[in-house]
Amino acid sequence: MLEMFEYDFMQRAFLAGIIIAVLASISGTFVVLRRYSMISETLAHSALVGVAVGLVAGLNPLWMAVVFAIFSAWLIEYLRSYFSLYSDAVLAVLLSGSLATAVIIVSLGGAFNNSLFSYLFGSILSVSNEDLITILIFGTISMVLLLAFSKELYFIAYDEEVAQTSGIKVKLVNFLLVTVVAIIIALSIRVVGSLLIGALMVIPTIAALQYKVGFLYTVLLALAFALVSVACGMTLSFYFSLPSGATIVLCVLVLFILSLIRNKK
Amino acid sequence: MKFKVPIFSVKNLSFIVRGQKILSNISLEIFNSEYVAIIGPNGGGKTTLIRMLLGLEEPTSGEIKLYGKNIKDFKFWDKIGYVPQRASHVDASFPATVQDIVNMGRTSKRGFFSRMNEKDKEAVHDSMVKMGVLHLKDKMVGTLSGGQRQRVMIARALASKPEILILDEPNTGVDILSQKNFYALLAKLNKEERITIVFITHDIGVIADDIGRLFTVNQKAIICNNPKEALSCEEMSELYGIEAHLIHNHKHEH
Repeated sequence: MLEMFEYDFMQRAFLAGIIIAVLASISGTFVVLRRYSMISETLAHSALVGVAVGLVAGLNPLWMAVVFAIFSAWLIEYLRSYFSLYSDAVLAVLLSGSLATAVIIVSLGGAFNNSLFSYLFGSILSVSNEDLITILIFGTISMVLLLAFSKELYFIAYDEEVAQTSGIKVKLVNFLLVTVVAIIIALSIRVVGSLLIGALMVIPTIAALQYKVGFLYTVLLALAFALVSVACGMTLSFYFSLPSGATIVLCVLVLFILSLIRNKK
Repeated sequence: MKFKVPIFSVKNLSFIVRGQKILSNISLEIFNSEYVAIIGPNGGGKTTLIRMLLGLEEPTSGEIKLYGKNIKDFKFWDKIGYVPQRASHVDASFPATVQDIVNMGRTSKRGFFSRMNEKDKEAVHDSMVKMGVLHLKDKMVGTLSGGQRQRVMIARALASKPEILILDEPNTGVDILSQKNFYALLAKLNKEERITIVFITHDIGVIADDIGRLFTVNQKAIICNNPKEALSCEEMSELYGIEAHLIHNHKHEH
């Protein structure tokens, strides 16, 4: 089984996968508890616009994905406060609008090829050294921000208004969360793909919630599920030549179903 | 001559939403160590008033001062503990032990990355002891009864060592025995810890002996300095818009 690590691309993919599993599961816990699950799907599609621009303009698609996802996150936060009663509709509009824009840009630029396919569903072959460095830099920044504000994020997830009355800058922390989530999603699309990254953020936390344990153990369980899924998914992807994003998501889905059965009353 | 400085000072406060007057020209003051109850009909503006005192809503006109400072410039929010109306309705799937919830009360006192220090741990422990929930600290909050959850929420508010405790009908969904114990606890916090209490309730007959002043809010505010005698049946009928009968509380007549 270890023979797969003889290949440089697998070493890079595994390292990137582990970083993404850590980031996606920890940020995913806050996303789920804040009831922001749909935001990850929307941001993933916005990141795809960045990829499309990058592919057509010859710029680094991953950097462009980060830029577009952050811009979209800020736009979502602004629109959510403006259309507070219809915040889910805002997400739906941006999701479909982003996908349509990405497809048109790629079609006009004649870049609708395997390269885009790998960004949609993830590919272990596609993680370059440059990608790995980008994932490491932005991943470290995201992790530091998540750890710095974890107690505020947890309090806000529990009760936004009570958190605000205790002196926490709720708007600022919410803004920070969506920015970090945007960065993590953009980084993840190399390995997991834009259509499936939302699942890697949400499902490990949903699976961990089935065990009905305190916050710290919920985060650790979500982290463990994400790491196991990424490791198993990438191995299956290598040996059966399958898109890595799909195999990772199916693995985490199996863990979720097992958690559901084990904890069913 | 020494003047009392009010904790809350409200002047000519009005709140209008889409042309509908929710609060009209309210002026009141709340002083240190007071126990104030707020009553009024549903939709009369009690919760809106509280939300404005907490900076959650902006008034259409008027002024709110906290410790003599305009509410917009006020920074010491850890002096205020807030227990909202829905406090006992916790999402059962939320991953939190009692300890996790009470720890939240120390959030704004801790710096970035910092773990709970001895002072934080002591404050959390003390508030759990005060509210009688220490033995529940490792229990998931979603598994507790309404009364237990209510005490946990107050323990969270107390963990920041507040000078004021604001409670918005925290008894909703709580059984009668727990409510009685709860009122006794509030009275104790006010008398022994000198914590100022502002409390929205409908159970005025039960706590009339404990409270110092009563505010009735139905668009306008009427302040009663002697809550035991101030509200006649006629006044209650006018306030709630229905015929009211006083049910006497005999607990001190034996």
